[in-house]
Amino acid sequence: MNKRTIFTLLLTSILSVPNYAQEKVTKTVGLKEVLVEGKRYGQSAEGAMSVAILTNDSLQKYQAGSLMQTLDRVPGVNAIGIGASQSKPQIRGLGFNRVATVENGIKHEGQQWGLDHGLEIDQFGVGAVEIIKGASSFMYGSDAIAGVIRLSSPTAPQENGLQGHINLFTRSNNASYGAALQLQGRKNNWIFGGGVTHLDYADYRVPTDTVYVYNYAVRLKNRQVRNTAGRETSLQFRTGYVSERFSSILYLSNYHTKIGFFANAHGLEPRGVDTALYDRSDRDILYPSQQVNHFKLISRNNITQGVHKIWLDLGYQRNYRQEFNNYTAHGYMPPVYPQDMAIPMNLERLYDKEIYHITLKDEFNLASHRLTIGGNAEQQLNHIDGWSFLIPGYRQKAMGVFIHDRYTINEQTILYGALRYDHSTMHSFPYQDWFASRLENNQSVHVVRADELHRSFHSLIWSLGATRQIGQWETKLNVGKSFRAPLAQELAANGVNYHYFSYEKGNTSLSPEQSYQMDLSVARSIGSANFAFTPFFNYFSNYIYLNPTSGYDQYYGAGNQIFEYAQSKVQRYGAELQVEYRPLKDLKIELLGEYVRSKQLSGSKKGYTLPFSPAPSLVLDVSWSPRSSRYFKEPYLSLDSKWTANQQHIVPPEEKTKGYQVLNLRAGTQLPLGRSALQLRLQIQNILDTKYMNHTSFYRLISLPEQGRNIILSLGIPFGEQNRS
Amino acid sequence: MQIRKKYAVMALMAAFTIACKKEKEPIDSEKPTIDIRAESAFPKQCSQIKRGSTVTFRAQLSDNVALGSYSIDVHHNFDHHSHSTEVEECTLEPIKKPVKPFVLVKSVNIPGQVQQYDAQLQIDVPADVDPGNYHFMIRVTDQSGWSSQRGISVRIVE
Repeated sequence: MNKRTIFTLLLTSILSVPNYAQEKVTKTVGLKEVLVEGKRYGQSAEGAMSVAILTNDSLQKYQAGSLMQTLDRVPGVNAIGIGASQSKPQIRGLGFNRVATVENGIKHEGQQWGLDHGLEIDQFGVGAVEIIKGASSFMYGSDAIAGVIRLSSPTAPQENGLQGHINLFTRSNNASYGAALQLQGRKNNWIFGGGVTHLDYADYRVPTDTVYVYNYAVRLKNRQVRNTAGRETSLQFRTGYVSERFSSILYLSNYHTKIGFFANAHGLEPRGVDTALYDRSDRDILYPSQQVNHFKLISRNNITQGVHKIWLDLGYQRNYRQEFNNYTAHGYMPPVYPQDMAIPMNLERLYDKEIYHITLKDEFNLASHRLTIGGNAEQQLNHIDGWSFLIPGYRQKAMGVFIHDRYTINEQTILYGALRYDHSTMHSFPYQDWFASRLENNQSVHVVRADELHRSFHSLIWSLGATRQIGQWETKLNVGKSFRAPLAQELAANGVNYHYFSYEKGNTSLSPEQSYQMDLSVARSIGSANFAFTPFFNYFSNYIYLNPTSGYDQYYGAGNQIFEYAQSKVQRYGAELQVEYRPLKDLKIELLGEYVRSKQLSGSKKGYTLPFSPAPSLVLDVSWSPRSSRYFKEPYLSLDSKWTANQQHIVPPEEKTKGYQVLNLRAGTQLPLGRSALQLRLQIQNILDTKYMNHTSFYRLISLPEQGRNIILSLGIPFGEQNRS
Repeated sequence: MQIRKKYAVMALMAAFTIACKKEKEPIDSEKPTIDIRAESAFPKQCSQIKRGSTVTFRAQLSDNVALGSYSIDVHHNFDHHSHSTEVEECTLEPIKKPVKPFVLVKSVNIPGQVQQYDAQLQIDVPADVDPGNYHFMIRVTDQSGWSSQRGISVRIVE
């Protein structure tokens, strides 16, 4: 059956929805903590999408080494982990520039394309997380092709006063020590808040003494992954004026991290290590390492004028990333680093990106229609430096205009429609090697790694959706088209990534990636059980991927394997399942499953999957939350087991990954103390210290197992006038 | 009404199932291999190469479907930055600064989509290059883009 038939079927089924009318209003089906909910999103444009919501409380409860690792438990969401403390988001098997992270209305922009570049967000400064599974390009433009991680800052209290909490935590596996302070206050219409987080951690531990970099046995001292220690400091400040008709809030934040990379292998490249130097301390950060600073200033404003509600969001971000390494002469690079170089000898790469963003939209009612019209514009300016070249500098400008409609037919049925037009321009800057390479005719030439390039892209996308209450069933259906504009390196790269033995060649003729998708969500509650099933289907007519070819390039690629950016047809499908059952009032059983399968339908990797395809997994959780007593308020104890299947579907240069089972334990309670209460939490992750590899982990390619047993203790100390949340 | 909706949902599910029907196309998921166990293979881990001489790189390359190309890359390891991929460790000379290190980058297309290939390449090592520890990288691809590499530690001697 071809895609046209499927879409015709889908469209027919949406359009026929209004004909079946008149059931009684039924209760919204919601799964606590990880929930798929109808009512709340009935009001907004993503009403027909599957949305998972996590509060700050759940983030604390499931706290892992980094934000995405904490969210990894949500079905359909995975972390591409970079060691124990950095990660990148992945939704339904797609990550990098195919997932948009949006904080306080503004798209977070770093160097998302990089394998070892984590998301620069402090999980302790997040008030709530909403995960929109499924393409959301119609709301956020390019990049939101697989979904959106939407973050918002903690909200201000309803009444006048100052409140806050201090969170002290420690994690045993990498001897993390951290403290986070969050503060919220209000004085009449003026609100303010802020936060400080600092954490410091040592090299993390894996359940093995020896890792094999190819055939060479690397001994790990105390089972620690050499040189993966790090530090993280984050500051947030927010203030503004909030009234019923008008609100204006300013958000200011700065995130800084410095972290080492595993010293024995950088990428796929085995490295010689002076163990005496590297094993002297497990808290020092030697080479290779990375240091990132992300600064963000956001102004969110809205005003209600008659039936109109007008929003204006402004944002400025600066992402400053440095990657340090000892100078190593690869390929034709000079054996000794020249003294007259302006680039510091240990600065392998530097990316300095500034992003300006503006969104303006107007929401208003017109008969039974709730319309939103608006537009946004963004400019990115990316500078590069360092002695190693991967992507060129560039200036990218993008603008989009959209119209969304929510049409309420009756209490059971709501229809959604959206149309969006985007235009973007990419101007990438030329780059020439600072050293000479030996070419075919024995010439010595400073190779031009990127020519100056001007491209512009247009996209017209649409989305149609419906939510409908059918008896006890709450259903949502969304179909649409979405897009992603090609990145600078996809168009213009011509560099050698020595750590991956790859010579990466861009393709200046790439067109914007087009994706068609269908998302369905069915949920209901039966007695004390809640159930949600969210299947999806997706078809890319031209998925952009980096194709490893069978050739080596002796001259321009310094003998490395040629990886070319190409486009192919891709089909993806899968589903998530969530079941929550309460056999007793205090007892909850939860089942969370996810499955995704991708397949390339054309091109030289026809029949292969996409890189970093997560293996199917199932979580079974049993939670016991007895009633509060005098000394213990809201206690909980939960044990969960996660089964992950084999991943047999791979694409070069990946390896097949074996299935595994991991057990985790969580417990916590509040200890009343005067008028407030201390929040005590304990987690034991990977209780049995199971040795396993995660297919979506950065270190999978060098067969480094995941983190071993990790005991996480945290103590929350509230203060201020209102201690209850 | 209710029934019609049910049918619509069922039709949708059916569409899903058909769209996702398994097609059994065999895809290659095996990497090519580099075999240097043969007596005639060169270099081997910890091999010595006399400067001013001509040596022949020789390895048996194989793949389950069809080989693509191979590449060799010789680099100094005077600063011990690099590590071999092999089990055996070789003795390293003290760290030193390169003056005129030997550099070789060479790639070769393997003709004829073969499964087995006896790779041979003559290498002239000039007489004036720095002696010391070197790293000899051998890399091979197959037609699907799978690759394997071996990093061999060798020493160039006077």
